[in-house]
Amino acid sequence: MPVVVLLVVFGVYPLLYSVWLSLQERSRVTRQFEFVGLKQWEIALTDPRTWDSFQVTLTYTLVCLFFQVVLGMAIAMLLDTERRGYGLLRSLMTLPLVVPPAVTGLMFLLMEDAQFGVLSYYLKQLGIIDPLNPILAGNDTALIGVMLADIWQWTPFMVLIFLAGLRALPKEPYEAAAIDGASAFQAFRMITLPLLTRVIAVAVLIRSIDLFRVYDYVYVMTSGGPGTQTETLSFYAGRLFTLANFPYAAALALIVLISLNVIASIFIKLFKVRF
Amino acid sequence: MRTHPALGILRDVCAWLVVLLFVFPIFWWVLASFKPYTAIFNTTPVYWGFEPTLDNYRVTLGGVSRLSLVTDEGAAGTVAGGGSSYYSIPSIIDSVVVALGSTAISIVLATLCAYGLSRFRFRGQQPFVFWILSQRMMPPIAIAIPIFFMFRDLGLRDTHLGLILAHTLINLPIAVLLMKSFLDDIPADLDQQAMIDGATRWQTFWLVVMPLVKGGLAATAVLCFIFSWTEFLLSLQLTSQIRTIPVKISTFVTSTGTEWGFITALGSAALIPSFIFIVLVQKHLVRGLTLGSLKD
Repeated sequence: MPVVVLLVVFGVYPLLYSVWLSLQERSRVTRQFEFVGLKQWEIALTDPRTWDSFQVTLTYTLVCLFFQVVLGMAIAMLLDTERRGYGLLRSLMTLPLVVPPAVTGLMFLLMEDAQFGVLSYYLKQLGIIDPLNPILAGNDTALIGVMLADIWQWTPFMVLIFLAGLRALPKEPYEAAAIDGASAFQAFRMITLPLLTRVIAVAVLIRSIDLFRVYDYVYVMTSGGPGTQTETLSFYAGRLFTLANFPYAAALALIVLISLNVIASIFIKLFKVRF
Repeated sequence: MRTHPALGILRDVCAWLVVLLFVFPIFWWVLASFKPYTAIFNTTPVYWGFEPTLDNYRVTLGGVSRLSLVTDEGAAGTVAGGGSSYYSIPSIIDSVVVALGSTAISIVLATLCAYGLSRFRFRGQQPFVFWILSQRMMPPIAIAIPIFFMFRDLGLRDTHLGLILAHTLINLPIAVLLMKSFLDDIPADLDQQAMIDGATRWQTFWLVVMPLVKGGLAATAVLCFIFSWTEFLLSLQLTSQIRTIPVKISTFVTSTGTEWGFITALGSAALIPSFIFIVLVQKHLVRGLTLGSLKD
């Protein structure tokens, strides 16, 4: 299969190249790359900025994941009915998914603007945010501002998957539970959740992979600021790339890749996910 | 299950509220694209009562110089700078060329590869399929760095072909897994019958299997198109002359001010192809987004 060759060329070569690059250093004198062994890795792993951005990435991933799963499940259950108009509602709910992430970032940048942002306006009216402290410029609120965009864009993805899962559930256990006098909440906890474990696990896995690599929203909304409050690992690597510090950027990107592979492998083993 | 009528109405109200909340940002965005300068930059949200204008579209899509738009108490013309940098038809063409090109290549390669994976068994197949999946875990920036150097050496930097190949690289793993899951649904018996009747492997593939997998093929193509259409990081890092729409839009955010009118206009225009395609293949969408993993 020639396709295999192509996949190897495009799949393995970049990876090996990254590894090779991460072992180099750009000489200040000759402007050429020189082999320096694991020096970049050592710098990367002892750089407090790496750990800061790692922490930001982890917070970002976990918080977004939590809201996307919980909201996604709640909305999926809300929309899983044959009442009139719900077909239209389900279609409308998928709209955020086709918006380019860079555009989503800008959408929320516009809405969260301190002076004329519609979201800022209502939050100010409700007394939730301090009028003098713009969302994306505040140390405590900037990351939340970015996460809002992600949650808006990807909750519909969870809704779609969970809806498909709910559709596939058998009806009998619910009838039995109703006869036994189980409450709706008990039925959800004892029947729906266990039967949907695999679906939830797949959704969480796919979403975690993307969340952990987040770049677009950060780039357009805050560029990592204020300070480095919203700087994720991917974004830090991207910044180094822009600064032409390619070996260090490559080492960081590989750290992201390795972290993800470890997390994903554990996850796949734990929940016995099969593709 | 029997429910009280009032509960049903309550459910309707909640459902509409939630969905409208999610649609609101898009609504607000498209609305802003028709607003004159002053209505966008109003400190209280403006829903109606403004004079709808196509000025933002005229600048971004029509090539009208922004300086000629001295309307709105002169507000739109006050910032220095020509209108040409906001003219985005070339970007749209770049995006269309790249998205169509990478979709076409992805589909051809993915279908062949998926057919092979679906119909033949070979040693190391499971690890191979898993390895294809793990390609998705690669952070785009990790791909961008080697490709950047590879393209520089090959003279592919800042070319349509280069970007098409880069997007193909991102799309291929997903497209292969997706096509495999669609092809697995078609019984291999059909292939064998066709070959007993004297068809070659190629004829079987082309005349028997392909017509059956049309729906899946369309869904895969649409997803490839949308992934390429919305891709940002690689397009940003690998090009400087060719600007796909998401990259072009991000250049409207400048240190001297953000041109929200033009951003929303071009952004709204960029949503249209995705919307149309999604509507066309909606029933295959879930499988596409989950790489077919929800199959029973």
